[in-house]
Amino acid sequence: MLTARRRVMTAMAALLGGSLLLTACGGSDGGSSDAKTLKLWHYEGPDSAMGVAWNEAIKEFEAKHPGIKVKFEEKGFEQIQKTAPMILNSSDAPDLMEYNKGNATAGALAKQGLLTDLTAEATKRGWDKKLSAGVRTTSMYDTSGVMGSGKWFGVPNYAEYTMVFYNKALFKKYGITEPKTFDELTAAMDEFVAKGVTPLANAGAEYMAQQYLYQLALSKADRSWVDKYELYKGKTDFHDAAWTYAANTFADWVKKGYISKKSTSTKAEDAGVSWIQGKAPILFSGSWWYGRFQTEAKFDWDTTLWPGSTMSLGSGGNIWVVPKNAKNKDLAYDFIDITMSKKIQNLLGNKGGIPVAADTSAITDPKSKQLITNFNTLSGRDGLAFYPDWPVNGFYDVLVSETQKLMTGSEKPDSYLSALQQAYDKGAPTK
Amino acid sequence: MTVTVERDARAVGKRRQTGPRRPRTRDSYALFLLPGILAFTAIIVVPFLMNTGVSFTDWQGIGSPKWTGLANYRELMDDSEFWASFRHSLFMVVAMAAVPTMTGLVLAAALFDYIGKHFGSRWAAILRACFYLPQVLPIAVAGIVWSWILAPDNGSLNELLKAIGLSSWQQDWLGDPDIALYSVMGVMVWVQIGFPLVVFMAGLQRVDPQLYEAAELDGAGWWRRFWHITLPQIRPEIYVVLTWCTIAALKVFGAVYVLTKGGPGGATDVPSYFSFSTFFEKTQVGYGAAISTLLTVIILALSVVFLKLQTRAEEGDRT
Repeated sequence: MLTARRRVMTAMAALLGGSLLLTACGGSDGGSSDAKTLKLWHYEGPDSAMGVAWNEAIKEFEAKHPGIKVKFEEKGFEQIQKTAPMILNSSDAPDLMEYNKGNATAGALAKQGLLTDLTAEATKRGWDKKLSAGVRTTSMYDTSGVMGSGKWFGVPNYAEYTMVFYNKALFKKYGITEPKTFDELTAAMDEFVAKGVTPLANAGAEYMAQQYLYQLALSKADRSWVDKYELYKGKTDFHDAAWTYAANTFADWVKKGYISKKSTSTKAEDAGVSWIQGKAPILFSGSWWYGRFQTEAKFDWDTTLWPGSTMSLGSGGNIWVVPKNAKNKDLAYDFIDITMSKKIQNLLGNKGGIPVAADTSAITDPKSKQLITNFNTLSGRDGLAFYPDWPVNGFYDVLVSETQKLMTGSEKPDSYLSALQQAYDKGAPTK
Repeated sequence: MTVTVERDARAVGKRRQTGPRRPRTRDSYALFLLPGILAFTAIIVVPFLMNTGVSFTDWQGIGSPKWTGLANYRELMDDSEFWASFRHSLFMVVAMAAVPTMTGLVLAAALFDYIGKHFGSRWAAILRACFYLPQVLPIAVAGIVWSWILAPDNGSLNELLKAIGLSSWQQDWLGDPDIALYSVMGVMVWVQIGFPLVVFMAGLQRVDPQLYEAAELDGAGWWRRFWHITLPQIRPEIYVVLTWCTIAALKVFGAVYVLTKGGPGGATDVPSYFSFSTFFEKTQVGYGAAISTLLTVIILALSVVFLKLQTRAEEGDRT
């Protein structure tokens, strides 16, 4: 009797424990998906140009698909970047997801067969005709996961590029002429330093510092240099003229006070805010700041492409990907198609984004017009040079860490370039 | 007197052991343990074994892992970044275990023996709560607040130094590679100090007040009472705190992630953050797993050593 009772109790306890564990392990309805639901993930802020446009696209999609509900989940950029491979490998994969473009991200997933081949849809729905060659580069990946050729695994609905943001009011206040050439830029920075103002807003703990450096390299580079570095079409030598010039000039700029040594530990947000607050007269960064500056910068400002350089950082924006395990792929294609429509693209353009298939005459906001004009100039001269951290998995961290060392002087330019070479060679694919 | 009580308790324990077996009670207790054992197995043991398995591969988080045997561990042995991160861990042990334990001891004794007696136990409790507050704050919140305080431009600390005429002391607290680790250590001392303080004050509650009274009558000052009564009496608590805080220091992650992300240039990197960035940022999952496996083994080994030392010392006290 006692033994029987004990067995029953043991079984009940095991059942309870087991059910608790199962509840802890799963239990959410995150993986639920049916033919009446489009499960969509993206990480654009609701007030950003893209966030506004995608929200409008959701409304449009639901209007065009009666009875179908869009189940949107807002994710963080880091969240998707770090967990995407595991999520996409599981049955919890969404039907449609925004993902980071480039070899080390979308390319790696495509190579592993985690993304759906969109080539047939891109041709059928005309996406291939809508996107310019420069923007299209990040849509296609070969069997090694290298962008630029092969099959379509993603569709960018916007573009981005880096530019120089000037606080015109500060230039006026200090009586400094706005620069048009590279020499005038350095002359202006000298004048600001002489007046006790650090001219460049910078963030050493995040992407901004490495982007200054890459831009300096790009000013001495051409398309074949970029292709070698980003697409492995040849051997990249970090001790070549462009990289050496960039590392030496950047270190020199820190010494001269164009870039504050104190920005070694600051984040991109701090740099952006310092520019918005009128503390730094010049910021070199991406179009992703544009909409926010339009709203928050309460002074006269202007933008220009980096003087003296035909190339600048930029590409198609992040891409829509359809996971291999997506349950409603046709609905996902329909949603992408709506985001490519003139209505959504024009909305994106008027909210401070860079549309890829907008009706130019429908962009009425003057600042937005200027943004798109500059992009067209850059794109038209084949000047989109992607980003420095793309070629190798984890290269972003290497660039941050090594550039911090360059800023603090704990590493000389030559050692800095050797460290980059070592990390690049270790991670770059051998074809 | 305490020793007598402990001996009595052990005697009772012995009587229980030598008495008739009571299987029904013991089995009932075992049933209560079952969910915990299952959860421990599912949440700790299985993932640890899986992690160990992954550490013998070159897996990148997707696709099929390729078996590489001990290659990751061999690489780890020659990885200067890992050993640098491990050296930083030793600094964190100083900041999170040694300094808080010593400071916590003095503060607990002062609150218990001085503030409590002269200003009332309510004031001692209020001050104890103040010291404990950083332990209640999520580390992400504390980290963000401290990054504002330590910001190079307009940070509160630099502004304060300027206001009191010490502008030359202003620093880039988290951006200068020569200072950043000490800044993080300072924040961790602030975070940790409440824990030993509360444990030691609880320990002091069980010390026989007659010991202090007798010592005071014999003319012993505060320091002698602290050294000869407080310290020996709460030795078990000291062992527990030291063990707990050392383990916490070896696996510290949140503060480094929020304050510096291991920078500038790896100056504040610690093994757990190094593992995280290798695992997720560089997607060298196999190598990241090797780092975390080695770290777990080191922590387990140190815990066993600490526990053995503690047991031996306690046994030494009883004899």
